[in-house]
Amino acid sequence: MSVHWGPDAAGPLAQRQAALVDALVAGGPAPPGFDAADLDATRRALLRKRAREAAAQWPLLAASYGDRWPSVFAEHRAGHGPVGALRDGWDVARAVTGLPPGAAAELAGREAAWRYDGRRSPRPRRWRRLLGRVRRGR
Amino acid sequence: MADPAGVGVGWRPEIAGVVSDVEGLGFAEVVAESFAPAGPPRGVADLRERGVTVVPHGVRLSLGGTDPLDPARVTHLAACAAALGAPLVSEHIAFVRAGGRDAGHLLPLPRSREALDVLAANVARTQAELDVPLALEPIAALFDWPDDEYTEGEFVTALLDRTGARLLLDVANVHANAVNRGRDPEAVLDTLPLDRIAYVHVAGGVEHDGRYHDTHTEAVPDAVLGLLGALVDRLPAAPAVLLERDGGFPPAARLHAELATLRGVVAGARVP
Repeated sequence: MSVHWGPDAAGPLAQRQAALVDALVAGGPAPPGFDAADLDATRRALLRKRAREAAAQWPLLAASYGDRWPSVFAEHRAGHGPVGALRDGWDVARAVTGLPPGAAAELAGREAAWRYDGRRSPRPRRWRRLLGRVRRGR
Repeated sequence: MADPAGVGVGWRPEIAGVVSDVEGLGFAEVVAESFAPAGPPRGVADLRERGVTVVPHGVRLSLGGTDPLDPARVTHLAACAAALGAPLVSEHIAFVRAGGRDAGHLLPLPRSREALDVLAANVARTQAELDVPLALEPIAALFDWPDDEYTEGEFVTALLDRTGARLLLDVANVHANAVNRGRDPEAVLDTLPLDRIAYVHVAGGVEHDGRYHDTHTEAVPDAVLGLLGALVDRLPAAPAVLLERDGGFPPAARLHAELATLRGVVAGARVP
Protein backbone atom coordinates (compact mmCIF):
# COMPACT_ATOMS: atom_id res chain seq x y z
CA MET A 1 0.00 0.00 0.00
CA SER A 2 1.35 3.43 -0.86
CA VAL A 3 1.77 5.77 2.05
CA HIS A 4 1.42 9.45 1.30
CA TRP A 5 2.84 11.84 3.84
CA GLY A 6 2.45 15.51 3.26
CA PRO A 7 2.11 18.69 5.26
CA ASP A 8 -1.34 19.24 3.77
CA ALA A 9 -2.47 15.86 5.11
CA ALA A 10 -1.83 16.91 8.72
CA GLY A 11 -4.30 18.33 11.22
CA PRO A 12 -6.33 17.00 14.08
CA LEU A 13 -8.68 14.18 13.16
CA ALA A 14 -11.78 16.03 14.38
CA GLN A 15 -11.24 18.92 11.97
CA ARG A 16 -10.41 16.60 9.14
CA GLN A 17 -13.54 14.48 9.68
CA ALA A 18 -15.68 17.63 9.76
CA ALA A 19 -14.08 18.95 6.56
CA LEU A 20 -14.69 15.60 4.86
CA VAL A 21 -18.38 15.51 5.84
CA ASP A 22 -18.73 19.12 4.62
CA ALA A 23 -17.19 18.16 1.28
CA LEU A 24 -19.42 15.10 0.88
CA VAL A 25 -22.82 16.49 1.86
CA ALA A 26 -22.66 20.25 2.34
CA GLY A 27 -20.90 21.57 -0.73
CA GLY A 28 -17.55 22.16 0.99
CA PRO A 29 -14.21 21.97 -0.85
CA ALA A 30 -12.41 18.63 -1.18
CA PRO A 31 -9.94 18.37 1.72
CA PRO A 32 -6.27 18.28 0.70
CA GLY A 33 -4.70 14.98 -0.27
CA PHE A 34 -7.92 13.11 -1.11
CA ASP A 35 -8.64 11.80 -4.60
CA ALA A 36 -11.14 14.34 -5.93
CA ALA A 37 -12.77 11.87 -8.35
CA ASP A 38 -13.27 9.28 -5.59
CA LEU A 39 -14.82 11.91 -3.31
CA ASP A 40 -17.09 13.11 -6.09
CA ALA A 41 -18.22 9.53 -6.81
CA THR A 42 -19.01 9.16 -3.09
CA ARG A 43 -20.88 12.48 -2.99
CA ARG A 44 -23.04 11.43 -5.93
CA ALA A 45 -23.63 7.93 -4.52
CA LEU A 46 -24.85 9.47 -1.25
CA LEU A 47 -27.29 11.66 -3.20
CA ARG A 48 -28.63 8.63 -5.11
CA LYS A 49 -29.12 6.76 -1.82
CA ARG A 50 -30.95 9.75 -0.31
CA ALA A 51 -33.10 10.02 -3.44
CA ARG A 52 -34.04 6.36 -3.11
CA GLU A 53 -34.94 6.80 0.56
CA ALA A 54 -36.94 9.96 -0.16
CA ALA A 55 -38.81 8.13 -2.93
CA ALA A 56 -40.04 5.61 -0.36
CA GLN A 57 -41.52 8.48 1.69
CA TRP A 58 -42.79 10.42 -1.36
CA PRO A 59 -43.86 7.75 -3.86
CA LEU A 60 -46.05 10.00 -6.02
CA LEU A 61 -43.48 12.77 -6.14
CA ALA A 62 -40.73 10.35 -7.18
CA ALA A 63 -42.96 8.45 -9.63
CA SER A 64 -43.95 11.65 -11.40
CA TYR A 65 -40.31 12.07 -12.47
CA GLY A 66 -39.66 8.39 -13.26
CA ASP A 67 -36.00 7.75 -14.09
CA ARG A 68 -35.24 11.44 -13.71
CA TRP A 69 -36.07 11.42 -9.97
CA PRO A 70 -32.44 10.98 -8.79
CA SER A 71 -31.29 13.96 -10.86
CA VAL A 72 -34.28 16.10 -9.82
CA PHE A 73 -33.49 15.21 -6.20
CA ALA A 74 -29.80 16.00 -6.64
CA GLU A 75 -30.56 19.32 -8.34
CA HIS A 76 -32.38 20.50 -5.21
CA ARG A 77 -30.54 18.70 -2.41
CA ALA A 78 -26.87 18.68 -3.51
CA GLY A 79 -24.95 20.85 -1.07
CA HIS A 80 -27.62 20.47 1.61
CA GLY A 81 -26.84 17.92 4.32
CA PRO A 82 -29.25 15.02 4.79
CA VAL A 83 -32.21 15.84 7.03
CA GLY A 84 -33.98 12.49 6.83
CA ALA A 85 -35.98 11.07 3.93
CA LEU A 86 -39.26 12.76 4.89
CA ARG A 87 -37.79 16.26 5.06
CA ASP A 88 -35.43 15.73 2.10
CA GLY A 89 -38.41 14.86 -0.11
CA TRP A 90 -40.55 17.62 1.39
CA ASP A 91 -37.91 20.23 0.59
CA VAL A 92 -37.75 18.99 -3.00
CA ALA A 93 -41.56 19.02 -3.34
CA ARG A 94 -41.70 22.62 -2.11
CA ALA A 95 -38.83 23.72 -4.33
CA VAL A 96 -39.86 22.33 -7.71
CA THR A 97 -42.18 24.39 -9.85
CA GLY A 98 -45.11 22.89 -11.73
CA LEU A 99 -45.65 19.76 -9.63
CA PRO A 100 -47.69 17.13 -11.51
CA PRO A 101 -51.18 16.56 -9.98
CA GLY A 102 -50.35 13.35 -8.07
CA ALA A 103 -47.25 14.86 -6.51
CA ALA A 104 -49.12 18.09 -5.75
CA ALA A 105 -51.84 16.11 -3.95
CA GLU A 106 -49.20 14.21 -1.99
CA LEU A 107 -47.62 17.48 -0.88
CA ALA A 108 -50.99 19.08 -0.08
CA GLY A 109 -51.93 16.10 2.09
CA ARG A 110 -48.71 16.38 4.08
CA GLU A 111 -48.99 20.17 4.42
CA ALA A 112 -52.55 19.81 5.74
CA ALA A 113 -51.62 17.20 8.32
CA TRP A 114 -48.24 18.47 9.51
CA ARG A 115 -46.61 21.76 10.39
CA TYR A 116 -43.13 21.89 8.84
CA ASP A 117 -41.05 25.05 9.12
CA GLY A 118 -38.32 23.81 6.76
CA ARG A 119 -35.80 23.62 9.58
CA ARG A 120 -37.01 21.16 12.21
CA SER A 121 -38.85 17.83 12.20
CA PRO A 122 -42.47 18.23 11.05
CA ARG A 123 -45.04 18.17 13.86
CA PRO A 124 -48.65 17.00 13.53
CA ARG A 125 -51.02 19.95 13.24
CA ARG A 126 -53.28 20.68 16.20
CA TRP A 127 -56.32 18.90 14.77
CA ARG A 128 -54.24 15.76 14.19
CA ARG A 129 -52.96 15.79 17.76
CA LEU A 130 -56.51 16.17 19.08
CA LEU A 131 -57.72 13.38 16.81
CA GLY A 132 -54.91 11.15 18.07
CA ARG A 133 -55.89 11.88 21.67
CA VAL A 134 -59.53 11.05 20.94
CA ARG A 135 -58.54 7.79 19.25
CA ARG A 136 -56.41 6.84 22.25
CA GLY A 137 -59.41 7.58 24.49
CA ARG A 138 -57.91 10.50 26.40
CA MET B 1 -29.85 -17.34 22.72
CA ALA B 2 -27.86 -19.36 20.22
CA ASP B 3 -25.08 -17.73 18.22
CA PRO B 4 -25.95 -16.93 14.60
CA ALA B 5 -25.77 -20.05 12.43
CA GLY B 6 -26.84 -21.09 8.97
CA VAL B 7 -28.06 -18.56 6.43
CA GLY B 8 -30.11 -15.56 7.53
CA VAL B 9 -31.52 -12.35 6.15
CA GLY B 10 -31.75 -8.76 7.32
CA TRP B 11 -35.31 -8.18 8.55
CA ARG B 12 -36.92 -5.12 6.94
CA PRO B 13 -40.61 -4.14 7.22
CA GLU B 14 -40.97 -4.34 3.41
CA ILE B 15 -40.07 -8.05 3.39
CA ALA B 16 -41.52 -9.10 6.76
CA GLY B 17 -43.79 -11.68 5.14
CA VAL B 18 -41.07 -13.02 2.86
CA VAL B 19 -38.65 -13.41 5.78
CA SER B 20 -41.19 -15.24 7.94
CA ASP B 21 -41.75 -17.73 5.09
CA VAL B 22 -38.08 -18.61 4.61
CA GLU B 23 -37.62 -22.33 5.15
CA GLY B 24 -34.85 -23.12 7.58
CA LEU B 25 -34.10 -19.47 8.37
CA GLY B 26 -30.83 -19.55 10.34
CA PHE B 27 -31.06 -16.11 11.94
CA ALA B 28 -32.02 -12.52 11.24
CA GLU B 29 -30.81 -9.02 11.89
CA VAL B 30 -32.66 -5.79 12.63
CA VAL B 31 -31.29 -2.28 12.11
CA ALA B 32 -30.98 -1.06 15.70
CA GLU B 33 -31.91 2.54 14.88
CA SER B 34 -35.22 1.38 13.33
CA PHE B 35 -36.09 -0.93 16.21
CA ALA B 36 -38.15 0.00 19.29
CA PRO B 37 -37.22 -2.41 22.11
CA ALA B 38 -40.50 -1.73 23.92
CA GLY B 39 -42.64 -2.42 20.87
CA PRO B 40 -40.98 -4.74 18.37
CA PRO B 41 -42.74 -5.19 15.00
CA ARG B 42 -45.04 -8.22 14.82
CA GLY B 43 -42.76 -9.98 12.30
CA VAL B 44 -39.72 -9.71 14.58
CA ALA B 45 -41.68 -10.81 17.65
CA ASP B 46 -42.90 -13.84 15.67
CA LEU B 47 -39.34 -14.79 14.75
CA ARG B 48 -38.32 -14.60 18.39
CA GLU B 49 -41.28 -16.75 19.45
CA ARG B 50 -40.11 -19.36 16.94
CA GLY B 51 -36.68 -19.27 18.57
CA VAL B 52 -34.94 -17.54 15.65
CA THR B 53 -31.86 -15.58 16.72
CA VAL B 54 -32.20 -11.85 15.90
CA VAL B 55 -29.09 -9.66 16.06
CA PRO B 56 -29.32 -5.85 16.44
CA HIS B 57 -27.13 -4.16 13.84
CA GLY B 58 -26.26 -0.54 14.58
CA VAL B 59 -25.53 1.88 11.75
CA ARG B 60 -25.43 5.32 13.42
CA LEU B 61 -23.21 4.98 16.49
CA SER B 62 -20.22 6.55 14.71
CA LEU B 63 -17.64 4.52 16.65
CA GLY B 64 -14.80 6.12 14.70
CA GLY B 65 -16.08 9.65 15.17
CA THR B 66 -14.20 12.21 17.21
CA ASP B 67 -17.51 13.80 18.28
CA PRO B 68 -18.36 12.34 21.72
CA LEU B 69 -20.27 9.08 21.55
CA ASP B 70 -23.99 9.70 22.10
CA PRO B 71 -24.82 7.87 25.37
CA ALA B 72 -28.48 7.49 24.31
CA ARG B 73 -27.42 5.56 21.20
CA VAL B 74 -25.25 3.21 23.26
CA THR B 75 -28.08 2.64 25.73
CA HIS B 76 -30.49 2.00 22.85
CA LEU B 77 -28.18 -0.63 21.32
CA ALA B 78 -27.93 -2.41 24.70
CA ALA B 79 -31.73 -2.22 25.10
CA CYS B 80 -32.20 -3.77 21.63
CA ALA B 81 -29.91 -6.67 22.58
CA ALA B 82 -31.79 -7.20 25.86
CA ALA B 83 -35.25 -7.04 24.23
CA LEU B 84 -34.23 -9.53 21.54
CA GLY B 85 -32.27 -11.78 23.88
CA ALA B 86 -29.52 -11.41 21.28
CA PRO B 87 -26.24 -13.33 21.65
CA LEU B 88 -24.28 -10.37 20.26
CA VAL B 89 -24.68 -6.97 18.60
CA SER B 90 -22.83 -5.48 15.65
CA GLU B 91 -21.70 -2.05 14.47
CA HIS B 92 -19.26 -0.58 11.96
CA ILE B 93 -15.65 0.56 11.76
CA ALA B 94 -16.67 3.96 10.48
CA PHE B 95 -17.86 7.42 11.37
CA VAL B 96 -21.18 8.93 10.31
CA ARG B 97 -21.06 12.48 11.66
CA ALA B 98 -18.51 15.14 12.53
CA GLY B 99 -18.63 18.67 13.81
CA GLY B 100 -22.32 18.12 14.54
CA ARG B 101 -23.12 17.40 10.87
CA ASP B 102 -24.54 14.03 9.88
CA ALA B 103 -23.37 12.43 6.63
CA GLY B 104 -26.29 10.00 6.66
CA HIS B 105 -23.89 7.24 5.66
CA LEU B 106 -20.97 5.16 6.93
CA LEU B 107 -17.70 6.91 6.11
CA PRO B 108 -14.18 5.44 6.21
CA LEU B 109 -11.53 6.37 8.76
CA PRO B 110 -7.88 7.04 8.19
CA ARG B 111 -6.05 3.84 9.09
CA SER B 112 -3.87 5.69 11.59
CA ARG B 113 -2.86 5.36 15.25
CA GLU B 114 -4.97 8.43 16.05
CA ALA B 115 -8.11 6.85 14.54
CA LEU B 116 -7.34 3.53 16.23
CA ASP B 117 -7.24 5.31 19.62
CA VAL B 118 -10.60 6.99 18.96
CA LEU B 119 -12.17 3.69 17.87
CA ALA B 120 -10.74 1.70 20.77
CA ALA B 121 -12.05 4.22 23.32
CA ASN B 122 -15.54 4.34 21.79
CA VAL B 123 -15.70 0.56 21.43
CA ALA B 124 -14.65 0.10 25.07
CA ARG B 125 -17.31 2.61 26.18
CA THR B 126 -19.93 0.68 24.17
CA GLN B 127 -18.80 -2.73 25.39
CA ALA B 128 -19.04 -1.50 28.99
CA GLU B 129 -22.79 -1.06 28.56
CA LEU B 130 -23.43 -4.25 26.60
CA ASP B 131 -24.11 -7.60 28.28
CA VAL B 132 -23.17 -9.45 25.07
CA PRO B 133 -20.17 -9.40 22.70
CA LEU B 134 -19.79 -6.72 20.03
CA ALA B 135 -18.85 -7.57 16.45
CA LEU B 136 -17.36 -4.88 14.20
CA GLU B 137 -17.82 -4.62 10.44
CA PRO B 138 -15.27 -3.07 8.06
CA ILE B 139 -17.21 -0.94 5.56
CA ALA B 140 -17.18 -0.46 1.79
CA ALA B 141 -15.82 2.92 0.74
CA LEU B 142 -15.09 4.56 -2.60
CA PHE B 143 -12.13 6.53 -1.24
CA ASP B 144 -9.22 6.26 1.18
CA TRP B 145 -7.65 8.87 3.41
CA PRO B 146 -4.34 10.16 2.05
CA ASP B 147 -2.27 9.20 5.07
CA ASP B 148 -3.03 5.57 5.93
CA GLU B 149 -0.37 4.06 8.19
CA TYR B 150 -1.81 0.53 8.13
CA THR B 151 -3.39 -1.79 5.59
CA GLU B 152 -7.02 -2.62 6.31
CA GLY B 153 -5.99 -6.08 7.56
CA GLU B 154 -3.46 -4.61 9.99
CA PHE B 155 -5.90 -1.95 11.15
CA VAL B 156 -8.79 -4.34 11.77
CA THR B 157 -6.55 -6.88 13.51
CA ALA B 158 -5.09 -4.20 15.79
CA LEU B 159 -8.56 -2.92 16.67
CA LEU B 160 -9.93 -6.38 17.48
CA ASP B 161 -6.80 -7.21 19.50
CA ARG B 162 -7.15 -4.04 21.55
CA THR B 163 -10.87 -4.31 22.19
CA GLY B 164 -11.62 -8.04 22.16
CA ALA B 165 -14.41 -7.33 19.69
CA ARG B 166 -15.30 -9.94 17.08
CA LEU B 167 -15.38 -9.55 13.30
CA LEU B 168 -18.50 -9.10 11.20
CA LEU B 169 -16.99 -9.75 7.79
CA ASP B 170 -18.94 -8.37 4.83
CA VAL B 171 -17.59 -10.17 1.76
CA ALA B 172 -19.43 -7.73 -0.54
CA ASN B 173 -17.51 -4.89 1.12
CA VAL B 174 -14.23 -6.76 0.63
CA HIS B 175 -15.15 -7.30 -3.03
CA ALA B 176 -16.15 -3.66 -3.55
CA ASN B 177 -13.04 -2.20 -1.91
CA ALA B 178 -10.70 -4.58 -3.71
CA VAL B 179 -12.09 -4.22 -7.25
CA ASN B 180 -12.34 -0.42 -6.92
CA ARG B 181 -8.65 -0.31 -6.00
CA GLY B 182 -7.46 -2.86 -8.54
CA ARG B 183 -6.67 -5.50 -5.90
CA ASP B 184 -7.36 -9.21 -5.71
CA PRO B 185 -10.28 -9.74 -3.27
CA GLU B 186 -9.04 -13.18 -2.21
CA ALA B 187 -5.61 -11.78 -1.37
CA VAL B 188 -7.32 -9.13 0.78
CA LEU B 189 -9.30 -11.89 2.56
CA ASP B 190 -6.01 -13.48 3.59
CA THR B 191 -4.95 -10.30 5.40
CA LEU B 192 -8.06 -10.18 7.60
CA PRO B 193 -8.34 -11.89 11.01
CA LEU B 194 -10.68 -14.64 9.79
CA ASP B 195 -10.35 -16.52 13.10
CA ARG B 196 -12.31 -13.69 14.75
CA ILE B 197 -15.41 -13.96 12.55
CA ALA B 198 -18.73 -13.85 14.41
CA TYR B 199 -20.78 -13.93 11.23
CA VAL B 200 -20.66 -12.85 7.61
CA HIS B 201 -22.63 -10.35 5.49
CA VAL B 202 -23.32 -10.58 1.78
CA ALA B 203 -25.25 -8.12 -0.38
CA GLY B 204 -25.78 -7.08 -3.94
CA GLY B 205 -24.39 -4.09 -5.75
CA VAL B 206 -24.01 -2.57 -9.17
CA GLU B 207 -21.39 -1.08 -11.49
CA HIS B 208 -21.93 2.63 -12.02
CA ASP B 209 -19.55 4.94 -13.88
CA GLY B 210 -16.69 2.46 -13.65
CA ARG B 211 -17.00 1.77 -9.94
CA TYR B 212 -18.66 -1.06 -8.05
CA HIS B 213 -21.29 0.30 -5.64
CA ASP B 214 -22.38 -1.82 -2.66
CA THR B 215 -26.04 -0.71 -2.85
CA HIS B 216 -27.90 -3.62 -1.17
CA THR B 217 -30.60 -3.10 -3.83
CA GLU B 218 -29.60 -5.75 -6.38
CA ALA B 219 -29.04 -9.49 -6.43
CA VAL B 220 -25.70 -10.73 -5.08
CA PRO B 221 -23.35 -10.90 -8.09
CA ASP B 222 -21.50 -14.12 -8.93
CA ALA B 223 -18.16 -12.51 -8.06
CA VAL B 224 -19.36 -11.93 -4.47
CA LEU B 225 -20.77 -15.47 -4.26
CA GLY B 226 -17.39 -16.71 -5.47
CA LEU B 227 -15.60 -14.71 -2.79
CA LEU B 228 -17.97 -16.16 -0.18
CA GLY B 229 -17.00 -19.62 -1.44
CA ALA B 230 -13.33 -18.68 -1.14
CA LEU B 231 -13.95 -17.56 2.44
CA VAL B 232 -15.77 -20.80 3.31
CA ASP B 233 -12.77 -22.73 1.91
CA ARG B 234 -10.48 -20.87 4.33
CA LEU B 235 -12.54 -21.57 7.48
CA PRO B 236 -12.58 -24.72 9.62
CA ALA B 237 -16.40 -24.66 9.82
CA ALA B 238 -19.20 -23.10 7.82
CA PRO B 239 -19.76 -19.48 8.91
CA ALA B 240 -23.16 -17.95 9.64
CA VAL B 241 -24.05 -15.82 6.61
CA LEU B 242 -26.63 -13.03 6.41
CA LEU B 243 -28.05 -11.48 3.23
CA GLU B 244 -28.66 -7.73 3.42
CA ARG B 245 -31.30 -6.22 1.16
CA ASP B 246 -32.30 -2.58 1.67
CA GLY B 247 -34.27 -1.71 -1.46
CA GLY B 248 -35.44 -2.86 -4.87
CA PHE B 249 -37.08 -5.74 -3.02
CA PRO B 250 -37.58 -8.74 -5.32
CA PRO B 251 -40.58 -11.09 -5.36
CA ALA B 252 -40.59 -13.65 -2.55
CA ALA B 253 -39.56 -16.52 -4.83
CA ARG B 254 -36.45 -14.70 -6.01
CA LEU B 255 -35.35 -13.79 -2.48
CA HIS B 256 -35.95 -17.37 -1.33
CA ALA B 257 -33.92 -18.63 -4.31
CA GLU B 258 -31.09 -16.26 -3.45
CA LEU B 259 -31.02 -17.59 0.12
CA ALA B 260 -31.02 -21.16 -1.21
CA THR B 261 -28.03 -20.27 -3.41
CA LEU B 262 -26.23 -18.90 -0.34
CA ARG B 263 -26.95 -22.10 1.59
CA GLY B 264 -25.42 -24.03 -1.31
CA VAL B 265 -22.27 -21.88 -1.35
CA VAL B 266 -21.87 -22.17 2.43
CA ALA B 267 -22.28 -25.95 2.12
CA GLY B 268 -19.39 -26.00 -0.35
CA ALA B 269 -21.15 -25.83 -3.71
CA ARG B 270 -19.08 -24.22 -6.47
CA VAL B 271 -20.29 -20.95 -7.89
CA PRO B 272 -21.09 -21.40 -11.60
